[in-house]
This record gives sequence, C-alpha cells and structure tokens, in this order.
Amino acid sequence: MEKNNICIYVFAITSIVSVLLLFNSITLASSSSSSFLHSILQLFNNKTPEVFAQLNDENGNGTLSLANLIKQGSTYQGSKFASVVIIDFSDLQCKLCQRFVKYTEPQINSTYVQTGKVTLVFKHLPNRGFDSFPAAIAAQCTNDQGKFWQLHNFLYNVQGPIDSGWASKNNLEKLALQITGLDKQMFNSCFENQKYKSFTDADLALAHSLGFTQTPSFIIVKNNGTDIQKLEGPQPFVEFKAVLDKELVGAR
Amino acid sequence: MKFINKGTFTGLTNIKTTIPRAFKMVFSNPIYITISVAIFTAFWIIFNVFDQLLFFSPIITFYLPDDNDVVNGFIISNIMSLLIGILVSMNVYVIRNSNLRLDKSIFSGSILGIASSACASCSSIGFIIISAFGGFGIIITNFLTNYQTLLRIMSIAFLLWALYSVHNRITKSCVFSPNKNTKKQKQ
Repeated sequence: MEKNNICIYVFAITSIVSVLLLFNSITLASSSSSSFLHSILQLFNNKTPEVFAQLNDENGNGTLSLANLIKQGSTYQGSKFASVVIIDFSDLQCKLCQRFVKYTEPQINSTYVQTGKVTLVFKHLPNRGFDSFPAAIAAQCTNDQGKFWQLHNFLYNVQGPIDSGWASKNNLEKLALQITGLDKQMFNSCFENQKYKSFTDADLALAHSLGFTQTPSFIIVKNNGTDIQKLEGPQPFVEFKAVLDKELVGAR
Repeated sequence: MKFINKGTFTGLTNIKTTIPRAFKMVFSNPIYITISVAIFTAFWIIFNVFDQLLFFSPIITFYLPDDNDVVNGFIISNIMSLLIGILVSMNVYVIRNSNLRLDKSIFSGSILGIASSACASCSSIGFIIISAFGGFGIIITNFLTNYQTLLRIMSIAFLLWALYSVHNRITKSCVFSPNKNTKKQKQ
C-alpha cells in the first residue's frame, strides 16, 4: 500500500514536470537558451577568473576594460581613470538589486567611487519578469540626457512587485517624466523606437557569456579589464571591501 | 466535514497538556535534541543562503539589513527552521518507536517554505524555473516572489498542523509497537 502511494506521487510529479517541459518546448522552441539542460549547465557554469580573462586581448584592452565599456555606451559613476572597476549586472525589477542599491552601493560610493579609486559601471540583466526589458530600455534612454542614475535610483525607490504594472510601458513613461529636466519628446522617441534594444540584448548576452544567471551579479576588474573577480548577490559592504582592497593593492 | 470532527476539538482542547507531554517524551533523549539542532542549523543555513543574508565568499558574513521585509522574512524563516527541526526529531521518534509511517504534512510545509525562499530571491534557482518553463516559469517565480511572505506563513501553518498531528501519534500510546516498548523497558 505504501509503495503504491509512493508510485502515485512519483508518477504525478513526473507527469506535471513533463507537461510543463512540453509546454516550454512548444512555446520557446526557437530560443536555444531556454532549454532546461542549458539552464542547469548555466547554474554550474561558475567560470573561473582565467576563463573571464580570455575576454581580453593581449594588450588588456578587451571587452571588460573601462575604456571599452564607456565606448560601448555603458553608464558609469566615478572617474574614467580609476584603477578598479565594478561592473554591476542588475534588473530594475529585482528586489535583491534594490537591497544592494539601498544598503551597499551608498557605502561603496562614498568610500571608493567619490574618492576616485573605483568606477561603478551598470549593465542590464533583465531576466526577472516581462516588464524588466522595457524598464532597462527606458533607463538606457535617459542616459542620452545624462539622467540614467536619477531614473535608476528613482525606479528602485518606487519598485513594486514583479510585473504588477509599476514597470509597464505606460507607467515607465510617466515615471521618467518625474525626472527633473528630462526632455519628454526625446525620451519618448527613444523609448518607443526601442533605440537601446540591441544594446540591452548585448548586455544580456555578455552576462550569460560570463555565466551570470542571478541578479545582482558583479565582476570587479582592473581598469584594463584584467584580474577579474566575481561576486554574486546583494553582498554587504564588507564583502566588496575585501575584494576591492585586494584589487586596489594589486593595481598600485 | 469529516476533517473537523468531535475528536479534533477534544484534541485541540487537550493540547496544553499533550504537547508538553510529547516534547518531554521525545526530548528527554539527547539524540533527538541533537537531531533537532542539526536539522535546525541545516535549514537555518539553507534559508539564509536563499534569502541572501548569509555569504560564504569571499569571506563568511551574516548580514541582516535594517529593512522591515528582510527582518520579517528572517523571523519567519527562523520559525520554519525551528519547526522543521522539532518535527523531524518527533517523526524519527515515531518511526523508531512504532510501526507508523512518516507524517506527510511535514513535507508540504517544508517544501512550500523552501520553494518560496529559493524562488523569491532572484537566485539561480528562480532563473532555472524561468529558463525551463519560459513564460510560464516567469509567472511561477513572480507568484512565489510576490507572495513570499504569505506562502511562508502558509508553510508555518502546515508545519504547525504537522506538529499537532505528530504529537497526537506520540501521545496516543496505543499506536506504539508493544514489542519495541517492551524491549526498551527490558533494557
């Protein structure tokens, strides 16, 4: 009797998983990155710094160098000449990213960014919900007018439950208008034409190539993109301090 | 209606005396205290890693931000860990001392608690659900994220029901295997 019950439970769970996998394969057959196997592999794809380093060329001016990131149009805080760079992969709908922005980022900013030691670069990893991608594009559109960090901080301040409508396209337009000095027409034109769709796609592809699946995720590199350290999650300041101090000593 | 019968009410009114008796029976043996502490510690670590409060790299840090949602989540996950610790010990006691089966309600409470913690944290597990089930996965993770506190409270309710259920098994001495009890008494 007991064995029969176990069999029924196993059968029920297997059936549910099979149906969901079938549903997934039908709806997302075109996307190779959506397979279950792929995501499992990505979870364990904890790349070592040596693998990250391959992203840089022999001169050290590769994908992750600050000069290249700025050239690509990535938003940043701090000096162009800071010896260490934090690259933050975040989703504007993610609660843990909000925790990082609220509690850890101000301490990093006052201790390292304002003092010119570190530059903080933002990269989009919009994978939490359906509204994450439009939110990323909206934020990037404000960068054209030098207002990215205002909208970034504002969105994290007013953040609501994922896909509850707070980051819908209409609401994002309304929220962006609350940023002082933002040119409405310029923003709307950029947002409606999805000017930064390919830019956001590129950020997402970079995050995936680095093995990042969760938000927020960080890599800490030297200005030229070498000596890569990886941090995942809304880690407290002490964790960042441990890595940054070590990296800054090496950069001297 | 069969679920709420006269016996249930009688059981609930006697709870003040039967629960302490069940605890006394189980935790008078240090082995069960050890099991409870071990399970509590394991779940405490699991929940706090999922909630991104406990970090192992680059240095081991426990960090509880001064945020109402985070603090509430931490309190709830502590209660869940404690209940799971107690329940596992009590179920082990029941299995060792009777021919009864494991109380299934412990699984529903524990699984619900773990699922709501793991998927709500923008963690890799949430990403796996999204990747595996596509748009449907986003709906699942969003539900688990947005209703995390409610789901955890439900999980506590399941665990409390499991505690009530397992304490009933312990205090109803007639269900215990007479052979095993006799053997123990002889020892």
